[in-house]
Amino acid sequence: MSALHELLLLCVVLTNFWVLGTTRLSSTIRATAIQGALLALLPIALHPSWSVHTLGLAGGTFLVKTVILPGFLAWAIREAAVRREIEPLIGFSTSLALGAVAVAISFGIAQRIPMPESNSSLLIPVALSTVMVGLLVLTTRNKALSQVVGYLVLENGIFVFGLSQVERVPFLVELGVLLDIFVGIFIMGIVVFHINRAFDSLDSTRLTELKD
Amino acid sequence: MRLLLLAVLLLLGAGAGALVLRRRPRLADGVYVTLLLAGAAAGLSQAVVVLAGGAESVVAVAGTLPGGPWAFGLDPLSAWFILPILGVGACAGAFGVGYLGFERSHRPVAGTHALFVLLLVGLTGVVTAQAIVPFLAAWEIMAISAYLLVMHDHEDADVRRAGLIYIILTHLSTLALIGMFAALSVNATGHSFTELGLGNRTPGAARTVALGLALVGFGLKAGAVPLHFWLPGAHAAAPSHVSAVLSGVMLKVGIYGLFRVVSLVGAPPAWFGWALFGLGLVSGVLGVLWALAQHELKRLLAYHSVENIGIILLGMGVGVLGVAYGQPAVAVLGFTGALLHTLNHALFKSLLFLGAGAVLRATGRRMIDELGGLGRRMPWTAVAFGVGSVAIVGLPPLNGFVSEWTVFQGMLAAGASREPLRYAVVGAAGLGLIGALALACFTKLDGTLFLGHPRSPIAGRLPLRDPGTVMLGPMLALAGLCVAIGLLPAVVLRPARLILTELAIVPGSGALADTSWSADAMGVTVLGAGLVAAIVLLLLARRWLPAGGVARLAPTWSCAMAVSTSRMQYTASSYAAFLLGAFGPLAGTHVSRTADSFHTSVADPVQDGAVLPAWRMLGRTSVLLRGIQGGRLRWYLLLVIFTLLVLLLYLTKAGRAS
Amino acid sequence: MILGPLLTLLLVLAVAPALPGLATRTRALLTGRRGAPVLQLYRDLARLLRKNVVYSRTTTAVFRIGPMVVVATVVAAATLLPLDGHAALLSFRGDLVAFTGLLGLGRFALVLAGLDTGSSFEGMGASREVTVSVFAEPALFLCLTVLVLATGEISLAGMLGERLAAVWFGAAPSLVLAAAALFMLALAETSRVPVDDPATHLELTMIHEVIVLDHSGPELGMILFGNAVKLALFGALVTGVLLPLGLLPVWLAPLVLVAGLGVVAIGVGIVESSMARLRMNRVPQFLVAASALAVFGVILLLR
Repeated sequence: MSALHELLLLCVVLTNFWVLGTTRLSSTIRATAIQGALLALLPIALHPSWSVHTLGLAGGTFLVKTVILPGFLAWAIREAAVRREIEPLIGFSTSLALGAVAVAISFGIAQRIPMPESNSSLLIPVALSTVMVGLLVLTTRNKALSQVVGYLVLENGIFVFGLSQVERVPFLVELGVLLDIFVGIFIMGIVVFHINRAFDSLDSTRLTELKD
Repeated sequence: MRLLLLAVLLLLGAGAGALVLRRRPRLADGVYVTLLLAGAAAGLSQAVVVLAGGAESVVAVAGTLPGGPWAFGLDPLSAWFILPILGVGACAGAFGVGYLGFERSHRPVAGTHALFVLLLVGLTGVVTAQAIVPFLAAWEIMAISAYLLVMHDHEDADVRRAGLIYIILTHLSTLALIGMFAALSVNATGHSFTELGLGNRTPGAARTVALGLALVGFGLKAGAVPLHFWLPGAHAAAPSHVSAVLSGVMLKVGIYGLFRVVSLVGAPPAWFGWALFGLGLVSGVLGVLWALAQHELKRLLAYHSVENIGIILLGMGVGVLGVAYGQPAVAVLGFTGALLHTLNHALFKSLLFLGAGAVLRATGRRMIDELGGLGRRMPWTAVAFGVGSVAIVGLPPLNGFVSEWTVFQGMLAAGASREPLRYAVVGAAGLGLIGALALACFTKLDGTLFLGHPRSPIAGRLPLRDPGTVMLGPMLALAGLCVAIGLLPAVVLRPARLILTELAIVPGSGALADTSWSADAMGVTVLGAGLVAAIVLLLLARRWLPAGGVARLAPTWSCAMAVSTSRMQYTASSYAAFLLGAFGPLAGTHVSRTADSFHTSVADPVQDGAVLPAWRMLGRTSVLLRGIQGGRLRWYLLLVIFTLLVLLLYLTKAGRAS
Repeated sequence: MILGPLLTLLLVLAVAPALPGLATRTRALLTGRRGAPVLQLYRDLARLLRKNVVYSRTTTAVFRIGPMVVVATVVAAATLLPLDGHAALLSFRGDLVAFTGLLGLGRFALVLAGLDTGSSFEGMGASREVTVSVFAEPALFLCLTVLVLATGEISLAGMLGERLAAVWFGAAPSLVLAAAALFMLALAETSRVPVDDPATHLELTMIHEVIVLDHSGPELGMILFGNAVKLALFGALVTGVLLPLGLLPVWLAPLVLVAGLGVVAIGVGIVESSMARLRMNRVPQFLVAASALAVFGVILLLR
């Protein structure tokens, strides 16, 4: 079982690269859905105790991260009729290269961070790199929906980080995390919808035209 | 050592002869070439004897000279650098006789020939000096004679500007070197190199400062990014045979200096190795990227020198890291690679500059995009230039491959060792990137210059042909050396390892006594010979095919394009445009578009992006200080009184404290 | 004992022309067509060897020698690989640099032969070809770095031979990533979809096809053969990384290698039938993605 969680974490990093490198928005949403499924399996792989609690957490994570949120985003894409991301601020190739650098940095500094002993030596680096990739997508993409995807990836990174810190998975922590995501996405969804209505476009660079 | 002194005398005689006999050009040229070649032969034979294991000797000039006794010696490291100095110097000097011969009618050239000899003497002095003051004296002779040679075409404003930037920066490097020697002398008893070495074996603040200043001073001279921006201007402005020596040989004294400092310091610290490694990687990638963007022939070749210096620094960095982390095998590979690439780069870069000189003489054009189709008219030049191009890209079976292979081996061996040396293995991907960019750059250059149709009417109308023997001979000799070293790397690997043994840079004798390198060198020889044999076999087999003899000639088909003019073929700029666009603003090209015109210009990003704006800002802030010099006497008196009051206050406070 | 490696090399050279045919046939079958026979390239090569040749008046000796250099370099590169999993025909430390250098020499000759014709089409193809190689070389070196870090050997015969079989399970994730990156590089180096489309001859889409437009007769045959052998070489690299051939006996390993080459060719066909060709300025991005995968493999081994 110990190899399974390492495999899952490696696939999480690969989905990060997928999000960075693809130009189609539906592809990025598919990547976050798969990332969500991987994260749903992660608590089971880390604590193979098969308790109701762990299975419930896994099921809930799966439902929210793989079914509900990606479905919501896909609906938003259809409504706004947006298919592709235009060339981001730093270019797709540079994003991929920076993503690789982020992975290198997180693996490099993960041992230096003073942390209590955790179940897997891969959790901290993968969490750090996912957070960095999420921030990268959030700050450099032009379309508002891509920025939402970046925010989702960021939250996934924090989720992995949280998994490394708790021995048993207390109820309160995961409720907080999931609610946090839910509220954030809900607000973003509303904002996106209104931007689309008001400006007939989801291009966030045009938000600077708000001033008179 | 005596032969070397004879060599220096012969060289000086050549220069004197060129000056004295300047009324009789043919006699002057003959005397010059003969004495130059004789002097080079004497010096080279001495160097070869020392490298083959002969004893080194020291000559000391006694008497009351400033800075203590002046000592000159020829140890294996100096002998290795004498090889390019005198070898390439002789070839370039002979080429220069033919090259400048055309200018005799409107400009005196005897002075340039004499200065060239002085440059070679200065270079010899730098690598054989064994004490501080003779080193710096020879350094200055070298720098100033190079400046005067760069200013040969001083009617051109661009040349004057390039010379100005060069002289300012070379004196900056001399300043850094003076500081370095001062830091080294803090813990030493005297001024000779052996005494400096004995005093600086243990780590300390003075040693760290000295190493940092060595990086600045020698790095600037070698042309490492970001202190490289004097290089393209100076090397493009000088006459082509001088550019060959500047690029091929003078940059290497920076490398010589770094080797000397490393041998003086004993066990260099790890940060020094990482600094060299990083500098090498950055110089290599940026140098070749900026070379790709150039429109002018000699500027392109000059930027390529930056790239190759980067590869040499990469090798040195790996070597120093190997010593610092206790991996002697890695250190041997890194240092050997750096030494080999020093020699190889001298050979093929000077070959390329001499070829560029031949093209310049024949066509009168410097811009790559105006030339084309020269391969038919100047076949031997094209062949020599082609050999130089394949060598500089680092492709088998030529000598560039041998030195790059050794540097690669060093980095891969680092990867197979322990932390934190393992991280150096990412340099392998960087060196691969450098090689691929160099391939793009030289296919662009060769394809545009020698292949296809002429791109402007002038290039097609002059009576173009290969230059005469005095210009073609050196080029073919250098090309032959490139091929020979590429096919027989053992010939140069053995002396390089001898140098490392003598210098005692690598601790322990195990790695250097290991003879498994000869099996690898044999492998390279077999591969090279096999490749050449395979190509020859295929050529012969092609002739014996039943359809082999019957070949028809027709216009270029190119998917049935009916009319194809010379203006429709790719120019060098369009060839490089796709690749430069993929790198974005890093490449330094500026595009200006109007409704009816399109123009690209290339600027050096360090010079025009950082140095010149900083210079202008310095000028602007200095203007503010101009207010002090108002010209009013009362204001000056007030300043003097104010200073006296401050001093009085300070003295009273100091007095109260004690 | 050079008999084993020599025979395996000859076997691979003999099988190589079948691989592009296999890829094209797979692509055709998956898109609902019948497609050309798998052994079509053999017939093409035989036909081209019998034909007369037409040279362009603009060209020089560079054009005539180019194809021979292409074939010689790619066969010389093949002698450096341990095709039977145990030994290579020629091996020395650092020979992976010679491997990439030989492929680079072949590319140099091909590009110069294209520029020799003085046509704008060939110039365009040459420009695109060197751009692809600039992004492909670091990726290839990163994949080879993964092998160096995993096995601690710095010659190809050591990296892909018995030593790899011993460390395979420990370094499995990095090796799988390196194999994926090598597959993407194979698509780029042999000009298959999504980098270039070998089935079309449109100016918008060609890279390799357009450099060789003016070659004819035996020279064109040599270039097609060289391309097929390059696909075989990269297929052998992918197979050697994924299957530890060093564990198999000497008589079985070459057959497994040929089967692996076939699987790689079928994989190429599957990718070709499921993707469209990328826009030209997305091709560097594709190769940077391959480098990112290989870098991730390197990071996993360096920690």
